[in-house]
Amino acid sequence: MAVLETFYDVMRRQGITRRSFVKYCSLTAAALGLGPEFVPQIAHAMETKPRTPVLWLHGLECTCCSESFIRAAHPLVKDVILSMISLDYDDTLMASAGHQAEAILDEVMEKYHGNYILAVEGNPPLNEDGMYCIIGGKPFVEQLKRVASGAKAIISWGSCASYGCVQAARPNPTQATPVHKVILDKPIIKVPGCPPIAEVMTGVITYMQTFDRLPELDRQGRPKMFYSQRIHDKCYRRPHFDAGQYVEAFDDEGARKGYCLYKVGCKGPTTYNACSTVRWNDGVSFPIQSGHGCIGCSEDGFWDKGSWYARLQDVSGFGIEASADKVGLVAAGAVGAGLAAHAAISALSRVRYKGDDAQ
Amino acid sequence: MSAPDSAILTDGDLKGTNLDGLKARPLRARRLTTVYVYEAPVRLWHWMTAAAIVVLAATGYLIGSPPPSLSGEASSHFQMGWIRYLHFAAAWIFAVGFAGRVAWAFMGNVYARELFFIPFWKLEYWKELLDEVLVYAFVKKHAKTVVGHNALARTALFFCFTLTGLFMIVTGFALYSDGTGIDSWEGHVFGWIMPWLGGNLSTHFLHHWGMWVIILFVMIHIYTVSREDIMSRQSLISAMTNGYRTFRDDRPD
Amino acid sequence: MTIQTPNGFSLDNAGRRIVVDPITRIEGHMRVEVNVDAQNIIRNAVSTGTMWRGLEVILKGRDPRDAWAFVERICGVCTGCHALASVRAVEDALDIRIPTNAFLIRQIMAKVLAWHDHVVHFYHLHALDWVNPVNALKADPRATSALQQSVSPDHPKSSPGYFRDVQNRLKKFVESGQLGIFKNGYWDNASYLLPPEADLMAVTHYLEALDFQKEIVKIHTILGGKNPHPNYMVGGVPCAINIDGDMAAGAPLNMERLNFIQQKIQDAFEFSKNVYLPDVLAIASYYKGWLYGGGLAASNLMDYGDYPTVQGDKSTDRLPGGAIIGGNWNEIHPVDPRDPQQVQEFVTHSWYEYGKGREDVGLHPWDGVTDPHYALGAGAKGTRTNIVEVDENAKYSWVKAPRWRGHACEVGPLARYILAYAKGVPYVKAQVDDALGRFNSLAGTALTPQQALPTTIGRTLARALEAHYCAQQLLDDYDALIANIRNGDLATANVSKWDPSTWPKEAKGVGIVAAPRGGLGHWIRIRDGRIENYQCVVPSTWNGGPRDARGNIGAFEASLLGTPMSNPEQPVEILRTLHSFDPCMACATHVMAPDGEELARVTVR
Repeated sequence: MAVLETFYDVMRRQGITRRSFVKYCSLTAAALGLGPEFVPQIAHAMETKPRTPVLWLHGLECTCCSESFIRAAHPLVKDVILSMISLDYDDTLMASAGHQAEAILDEVMEKYHGNYILAVEGNPPLNEDGMYCIIGGKPFVEQLKRVASGAKAIISWGSCASYGCVQAARPNPTQATPVHKVILDKPIIKVPGCPPIAEVMTGVITYMQTFDRLPELDRQGRPKMFYSQRIHDKCYRRPHFDAGQYVEAFDDEGARKGYCLYKVGCKGPTTYNACSTVRWNDGVSFPIQSGHGCIGCSEDGFWDKGSWYARLQDVSGFGIEASADKVGLVAAGAVGAGLAAHAAISALSRVRYKGDDAQ
Repeated sequence: MSAPDSAILTDGDLKGTNLDGLKARPLRARRLTTVYVYEAPVRLWHWMTAAAIVVLAATGYLIGSPPPSLSGEASSHFQMGWIRYLHFAAAWIFAVGFAGRVAWAFMGNVYARELFFIPFWKLEYWKELLDEVLVYAFVKKHAKTVVGHNALARTALFFCFTLTGLFMIVTGFALYSDGTGIDSWEGHVFGWIMPWLGGNLSTHFLHHWGMWVIILFVMIHIYTVSREDIMSRQSLISAMTNGYRTFRDDRPD
Repeated sequence: MTIQTPNGFSLDNAGRRIVVDPITRIEGHMRVEVNVDAQNIIRNAVSTGTMWRGLEVILKGRDPRDAWAFVERICGVCTGCHALASVRAVEDALDIRIPTNAFLIRQIMAKVLAWHDHVVHFYHLHALDWVNPVNALKADPRATSALQQSVSPDHPKSSPGYFRDVQNRLKKFVESGQLGIFKNGYWDNASYLLPPEADLMAVTHYLEALDFQKEIVKIHTILGGKNPHPNYMVGGVPCAINIDGDMAAGAPLNMERLNFIQQKIQDAFEFSKNVYLPDVLAIASYYKGWLYGGGLAASNLMDYGDYPTVQGDKSTDRLPGGAIIGGNWNEIHPVDPRDPQQVQEFVTHSWYEYGKGREDVGLHPWDGVTDPHYALGAGAKGTRTNIVEVDENAKYSWVKAPRWRGHACEVGPLARYILAYAKGVPYVKAQVDDALGRFNSLAGTALTPQQALPTTIGRTLARALEAHYCAQQLLDDYDALIANIRNGDLATANVSKWDPSTWPKEAKGVGIVAAPRGGLGHWIRIRDGRIENYQCVVPSTWNGGPRDARGNIGAFEASLLGTPMSNPEQPVEILRTLHSFDPCMACATHVMAPDGEELARVTVR
């Protein structure tokens, strides 16, 4: 019989000593509100527990989440897939195809019922009976529902699975629908972003593996540990925002000095993500540092919230490039003119009224 | 009010006053009825809120469209910081004032409650509303005298000030929780509003739109109170300074 | 029944039908059905794109300056090439010339992408078609070390201990019983020909490449802020340059950042020289007898040409464009993406409609129409939502069928390399001759370019050669960037036409990119400052498209014909050849031209 590599083996290979391992187990027991008598049980479970199987499905997507995932630097993605989880199904990386690939789903779903994690990249389209995304001759939404039924938890990778993303932008021709609107009875962790930061993705997975629980989620179902602060709040250009120093146009003096990109449409002030703290690709940079404003890719419906380069959403029906302020100013002008006209007529009628009164 | 047949006083009416002996007609002397409408807290609140709105709109506009970039070191300026500080300070004044005003609605006189609801089911309200509309359309000359707000004013206030103001407070605190964090009390109490309104950026847009609604309301408000003060049968501007509403005629409605 | 296609292939759907769905290790979703004869040789092939996202519908009416981000999300694997095509299309329409620095920085970003894409494709999407990781457990690490030193003497990681460590780790992984991504692989299939020591070397480099691929993309992170999906902009690049001025340390591009970029380029050059190319040649030499998979590559090839040294001067393209028809390498036809008679798309066999009486016409992208129409043919087996077999005589794919003057053409690195070789581009000629020389000496063969290149192996080799050429060009482009900055030019953006009020009322443009998978074109029409029509014709549409009105088959289908399968139950050979194209089905299948009326029909539900 094959030897199952356990969580304990994994930790030992990560350089964690037996002593630290036992300490970890007692901390875990304490965290779970259990007495010291449970420590040996937890240790036993850890020592014999196999790596958590992960089934990674792809719907309508662009594979940027998978691409981001393989960029992970800490932990290295090879360590994640060789030692931490058992990535049993992922059509981007897996060796098998066709019915051999589909057989894996059935096997894992049966063998690990209630214990595997379903990771979803992309989303199901519901128009045309779901046939805008076909897997094995059937609609993707069927596969998604089937695999979700036995999952312990679901990770919605990226903005597609979390919110719908680009294919769900107006008018959403395929009726691309985020996972939580199709799967209603499972805990869902949304990890939005187009794509999410690699280390955020591995961070969520390793947290679940290390602490054996789901990360604490915010109101929208995102892990608080990465999505509870705006990019703006920890942006290295924030002092320029507070000072009133902005890039007025691309490649102007402010752009070369690294001034705040607020005026050229940066969505950092309205975007919850870890880009300005964790940064991208092993902490090398992030969009604002490279001179382009944040486009808000981890926010719900960011495609339909106005241009990347405008602070205020365009108002359709008012001609090209009408922002709220232009509409507001025009309205104020119209009201002002109206009031002036009204005042003039009032004055005239008052003269008449006085005349009446004098009689 | 006991109203005589004619609004213009007679010579006899002047008897025993400091005008005793003078001819009433050339003086165009009238009886003025004065009612204490706006109690001191309401007046204080009105002007405080007016000041807060001016600051909020000015700073709010600048937050949306900042002034031209400053040069030099970031450490030597704090322009946007001050703009935002003023906005938040004025917002607190506006919000606390609003809360106080709600409290006063229970403590104050009957007119103190007019802001917070419209007597939707009263036929009289709709009649008065139509009356006022006709006056403003120059169809009718005069509307009824009113002690508090006339029906049109009340409607505009309720929608454009009370509801919009409340919306601005709620969305404002929700946006404020961006900075204080979702575990702050603002985040707990108001944070839910943002996903509900379509996200953080959409909340910004709507908050910005709210500013324009209030600006337009303020313009119309200032015009109409001035106009009413001059042309209607009761004082308005002075009523909000000393609290007394004076009626220029005692004609029956 | 055997039929002869106009482009010279014979199809016979009489034999046993084999369905492979999903095809894995690609971007997006696709399905392939083949018929094999009694000898298990593929006699008919049907390639089906199985997803559609409708991106161009979504683009209609939006700000052209925003389009790059939408189309960039067509594909996260070839991330950035659609964004580049988009900003080029908009700049072409509005007649915007970008500063030299911006031109060079975009060149660098494009080639970083090409290099990265090719490396990840070979090791992580394609290698398992040739390499058996389970067999690597049987290897003697000393033999692997010797092999490594013989095929790539300059690679520093070649000690027996290094390979033993990897082998031990792999052993532990396999013994855990949880095989992860290797689960249900075809490891007992007779078509795996590598000796254990070569398998171990390749598996080791699978992990090495996984570690290094995340390094090269850091150039995108510096220049575009993140990867995948770095930021682009119309009129130049967002990364302003400040070398020695006030506050240079906080600028997007400064001395430290430039050094960072140079370092990564150097590392990439070493990797493709010492690891990627030697691996491809070594693995290929064990498969010297497996010269299948040429298909269309032996006859029709097309590319628009890219990588100029001078902005806007096509004659300086380092990989020149053109079309080869009928396998005649001596005549290269010029390709013009603006000519309505040249690039056209057909939907006779695609799940779209052009309207009554126009089923079989081809439309140029500027005038393209797409109206999704999902329906299975009369001969299909299964139901509407449970397809057992498609009917290739009817509509059977979400991919359109693009044609160049009516010819189905293969696009991709192999097409570019054959074109460049035939045109006599010196660098490419030297590279191909050197690589073939090394291959022939390793394999003991005497293959000519005409024999070796139009094959599955040739496609994979061309990709490796192109990756290394890109690394070489990166070094050159970096030097050119430094030289330009040294001359005092710091400009990175031309914002003179940023404001839509400066634009003409109507404009149309085309943006061309040598994308990793082949020639990519975006066509845009702008009216009143908004996108009126947007159309992408992408490489995997060329390669993976279905049959056209006249019955010509596309590159995927052609490449599978005549290939023997060692075990029809296990689609190793099918995967091998399809993967050699590096299919990108999200690219291929989103294609859509927005005409107002279509929207209503798309959203019937």
